[in-house]
Amino acid sequence: MIVAVSGKGGTGKTLVASLIIRNLLDKDLDILAIDADPDSNLPEALGAKAEKTVGDVREELKRETGKGEIPYEMGKWDVLEYKIMEAVVETSKFDMLVMGRPEGSGCYCAVNNMLRKIIETLSNNYDVIVVDTEAGLEHLSRRTTQNVDIMLIVTDTSKRGILTAQRIKELSDELDIKFKEMYFILNRANPKKKEELLRKIEDTGLNIIGTINEDENVTEYDIEGKPLIELPENSSSVLNVSEIVNKILYKKEIR
Amino acid sequence: MFEDIPVDVGHVYEGERIRSANMFVELAGPKSVGAELLRVVEKVDDGKIEVIGPDTDEMIEGESYKFVLQVNVQGDLLEEEIEGVLETKIHELSNYIQGYMHLNHRDQIWCRISKEAFESGFKFKHIGKVLGILLKEEFPIIQGIEIKISTDPKEVEKFVEKAMEIYEKRDAMARELSDEDVDVFYGCVMCQSFAPTHVCIVSPDRSGLCGALTWFDCRASAKIDPEGPVFEVNKGNTLDDVRGEYDNVNDVVADKSQGTFNRVYLHSVFEYPHTSCGCFEAVAFYIPDLDGIGIVDRSFKGETPLGVPFSSMAGQCSGGKQVEGFTGICIEYMRSPKFLQADGGYERVIWLPKELKDLLDDFIPEEIKDKIPTEEDATKIKDIKEFLSKADHPIIIRWEETEAEKIETKKSDDEIVMESTIPQVAYAPEISVPASGEFRIILKNAKIYAEKVIIRRNENKFDKS
Repeated sequence: MIVAVSGKGGTGKTLVASLIIRNLLDKDLDILAIDADPDSNLPEALGAKAEKTVGDVREELKRETGKGEIPYEMGKWDVLEYKIMEAVVETSKFDMLVMGRPEGSGCYCAVNNMLRKIIETLSNNYDVIVVDTEAGLEHLSRRTTQNVDIMLIVTDTSKRGILTAQRIKELSDELDIKFKEMYFILNRANPKKKEELLRKIEDTGLNIIGTINEDENVTEYDIEGKPLIELPENSSSVLNVSEIVNKILYKKEIR
Repeated sequence: MFEDIPVDVGHVYEGERIRSANMFVELAGPKSVGAELLRVVEKVDDGKIEVIGPDTDEMIEGESYKFVLQVNVQGDLLEEEIEGVLETKIHELSNYIQGYMHLNHRDQIWCRISKEAFESGFKFKHIGKVLGILLKEEFPIIQGIEIKISTDPKEVEKFVEKAMEIYEKRDAMARELSDEDVDVFYGCVMCQSFAPTHVCIVSPDRSGLCGALTWFDCRASAKIDPEGPVFEVNKGNTLDDVRGEYDNVNDVVADKSQGTFNRVYLHSVFEYPHTSCGCFEAVAFYIPDLDGIGIVDRSFKGETPLGVPFSSMAGQCSGGKQVEGFTGICIEYMRSPKFLQADGGYERVIWLPKELKDLLDDFIPEEIKDKIPTEEDATKIKDIKEFLSKADHPIIIRWEETEAEKIETKKSDDEIVMESTIPQVAYAPEISVPASGEFRIILKNAKIYAEKVIIRRNENKFDKS
């Protein structure tokens, strides 16, 4: 199952992605975290470090090809497969792949085509894949999220955040990208004004699956640069995301 | 067939990855060394499987071990040349084994055995057994096969060194694989989303323009991704082996370009050059004033001898067009012995960027290397001409020949040539101006205002007496 987290920049995609992973850790699943945001910070949130990104692999291959260093017989498919496996960060509880920098100049069609297939094959080895997408709508038009089963769109309480969320929904309809399920998460909700906001959002036709209340722990961890995955068990955000995961995975009481 | 193998064997396990969290041990790979090698030999002890060094049950969980897999095959029809093809198959077939991950080839292999497989009693001899059966099944010309697996550190290191020499020899042979040696080329239409009439023809001597796909890569792509943009092209009959024209290639190009083009020369920039997508690594361009060919690659940001940078030139010939005098190429093609062979190969190249020249250092013929100027020597036509003359570049012979021809042939009365002195503003190699009646107006080297205007009388069909 592939779960992708999208939304406007700064709304808390990485928080949601890392807490979903945290929630799944004790469920005896093979988990792959994919950081698809070029301005990647999922690794920090997960307390893991990527030595090599998919972007690095792409440039490395380009360089080696230019110099004529790749043996003809071996072929780029198998070389790429190896390099991607090298780029996978393996921890005892989950694996992680960081997409990294976008392409430089020149043509990357063929390489990207191979990478897509290789990452697809790799992904088939996991029970759950959680993708932290790049901010905005680009992932839709580039169709990097088209095999996603569940699309979660995070918005904060700002008008612009909600607008982006709406656009993601509209664009995916327009491009005929059919996610099996698509839900919205309201982040940084102030408990006092929550009900009113939720009503407003429901009026726009977005299907809200849960809210994450403002959490001082998150602010503190962010300031200190501590991995969000290590947030205390009783943090409100951890509890909120846990409810959301339960609803998604066990399909209980979706509003 | 696999009753005594403790794990499942089958196609479904292809693509199986073993996470380090589920892994028992790792063999070769980035943290260790190893290699696999298949050789064709005269005599084998068919079915023999030898394991040297610690077996799985003597290994420590979570560790990386040095690892060598040696396969010797024997068969009346087997030749040394086929070793590479058989060897690359080891990767695919190894992956049929459940709980055994195998990546890549040669000294770049990376294998893992899962905890589950180990617990069910998986040992190295099982790898040998499965490979022996599957290789024979896949290639019935293999009559006998023996396999040796080694995890003994000293033995592995010694072996890897020896194997490297053999790989190098094979690489040299693979580079020599030429268009004549195969019946199948490949076509690629990946770029048609933005260059709708572009059809890449990939032959052993001419890799795809983007540089990403060699003939070997295409062979793999067509197999791994049969619904994808890369497909087989039976080259058909050879129409011109120097220019690289084949009847069936022409048909495929016509079909896949929606009838826009029906001829292509793989190894020339003249008449019917290969179409250009937009993502080519370099452009080979004709320099009319000097009757030579210049090359510019994407990373060169300065002006070319035609007075425009790579980007403008690319704009003129990309999008799936076939523009005489221009062709998109990849850098790998410049390492091919057939590189623009119809036009004279490197003997016709009269300019290229320094960085590119350095990259091709081993491939530009020694006797001509110093005779080709780069931007450090000259970029203006006049200066290039001077450089070429001083350096005694073979293009000079061509100039002399053309000069001689010019004197011999009297100028036709039907052709008026007007030379213009208007300064250069923009450049186009050739523009045909639509005109009715018996005249064609062609602007050559048009620089907004044409440098030359040729008004030529069309051949009169009735005047053949």
